[in-house]
Amino acid sequence: MTYAFILAFQSLIREKWINLLSVLTIASGLLIISLALFTVYNIDAATKNLPERFSMILYLDNDIQKEKVDAAVGILKKNHAVLSVRYIPKDEALKELKTTLKNSSYVFEGLDENPLPDAIEVKLKKDSVGQETVRKFAGEAMKIPGVKEVDYAEKFLSTLNYLRVGMKTIGLILIASLGAGIIFVCYSTVKILFYRRNEEIETFKLLGATKAFIRTPFLVEGALIGTSGGIVSLLGIFAFYYIVLLRLSVSMPIFKAILFPWDLFLVLPFVGTFLGVTGAAIAIGRLKY
Amino acid sequence: MTWADDGNNPMIHFNGVTKDYDNQTALRDITFSVEKGEMIFVTGPSGSGKTTLLKLIYFAEKPDRGTISIAGWETGQLKESSIPFLRRNIGIVFQDFRLLHNKNVFENVAMALRIRGAGEKEIKARVYETLKAVNLRHKADVFPRRLSGGEQQRVVISRAIVAEPTVILADEPTGNLDPDTAEGVMRTFKEINAKGTTVLIATHNRELFRNSGRRVIRLDMGNLVAEDRT
Repeated sequence: MTYAFILAFQSLIREKWINLLSVLTIASGLLIISLALFTVYNIDAATKNLPERFSMILYLDNDIQKEKVDAAVGILKKNHAVLSVRYIPKDEALKELKTTLKNSSYVFEGLDENPLPDAIEVKLKKDSVGQETVRKFAGEAMKIPGVKEVDYAEKFLSTLNYLRVGMKTIGLILIASLGAGIIFVCYSTVKILFYRRNEEIETFKLLGATKAFIRTPFLVEGALIGTSGGIVSLLGIFAFYYIVLLRLSVSMPIFKAILFPWDLFLVLPFVGTFLGVTGAAIAIGRLKY
Repeated sequence: MTWADDGNNPMIHFNGVTKDYDNQTALRDITFSVEKGEMIFVTGPSGSGKTTLLKLIYFAEKPDRGTISIAGWETGQLKESSIPFLRRNIGIVFQDFRLLHNKNVFENVAMALRIRGAGEKEIKARVYETLKAVNLRHKADVFPRRLSGGEQQRVVISRAIVAEPTVILADEPTGNLDPDTAEGVMRTFKEINAKGTTVLIATHNRELFRNSGRRVIRLDMGNLVAEDRT
């Protein structure tokens, strides 16, 4: 095993240009993956708190009795998806509306009676703020006696859903395609190195070398190329943080809100090792010798 | 996988072996045996089938017809995965040397032991001892391209014998050597054989076996035309 490392290191030095090119290609691929993950991570973090602001309004029948309101509130509070329930009498609703529209008070001119109905504001737990669960909850709420109408920001929910699913899909496609690309780079490099050492390998075989003796140095070499690519990409992402993000945040404070997931990037060399070994394993598995 | 020599079988036995390459017969219906500890010569003009015969012995080729057994192992019944382990009992002196030009003399010879999984201490001791035996101890750090033809040949011999194999196969071992160096190489083979190693030398140079008293197998156009003692 030790000798496999020696052979792999010797080959790395002997074929330094092809190996350097592979390392840089892998590093570029991993850097793009990292930046994509970085973007997804920040968008995810930014949208994570949005569900907390989401609320539903249940409009009640006109002149609804106090007992019926209490019963409706009781039913809603028992629902496991509900975070909070607030009864808003129509006078309070009008007062809130007037405060909101204080610059457009002419809207209320000539208004003899309060046109607003009594309502209940319901906030759902973060996990329950999804397109399907909210639709289901709205259906259940409509069945509560005294509830006339249920209103909620359906468009907001679908946009939030598209944003999350879209970003995750783009992230996954990028990771899968670039990951496959990196494996292919390692595969091609190891294959080229193998053919360049064909004569040497033939001699090893005639001297009694097993397949494991011949293959192991190539696996080690694939791992070393992948790991080096991972380390270079890690340095690249740190350079991006220190040179780009930190400098930008000095002049533009909005960049201070951007999160930098250090732990996520520290696995890059290991990801490189895994992809390198996978590429090398596929290459030597497909070779006839 | 272990060498299955129980002492009763001939070390090498060919029985009606035929080998074809693209409808051209390289060897035709060859039958002969080599006993354990014997040193024999295979001779014939270029293209007579000497190299093919050696390749069949070290499993680089398979016979199209007939059977070959090496120390009791029938090559036709061997699994592909067993071949490396059997090859470790055969030291080969290749006609084209097959030296590793990116490794120095020491590493070239050591490779035969590394492949067998020997430890560094053992490798060092045995390689230097073998290089000393062929008078190349002082060239251990030199790369093959900087050696003369005779020195390269001796490196190949060192690599073939360093692991103390049961059989040594040599293909034209004195091909490009001057008479004095060739004599030195032959002396080395005799010494190896004297220790009990079976040696089979393929050569077209009759001077190597003239009056040697050794058995000689003569090939011509793939046929075994004579088997005699000189």
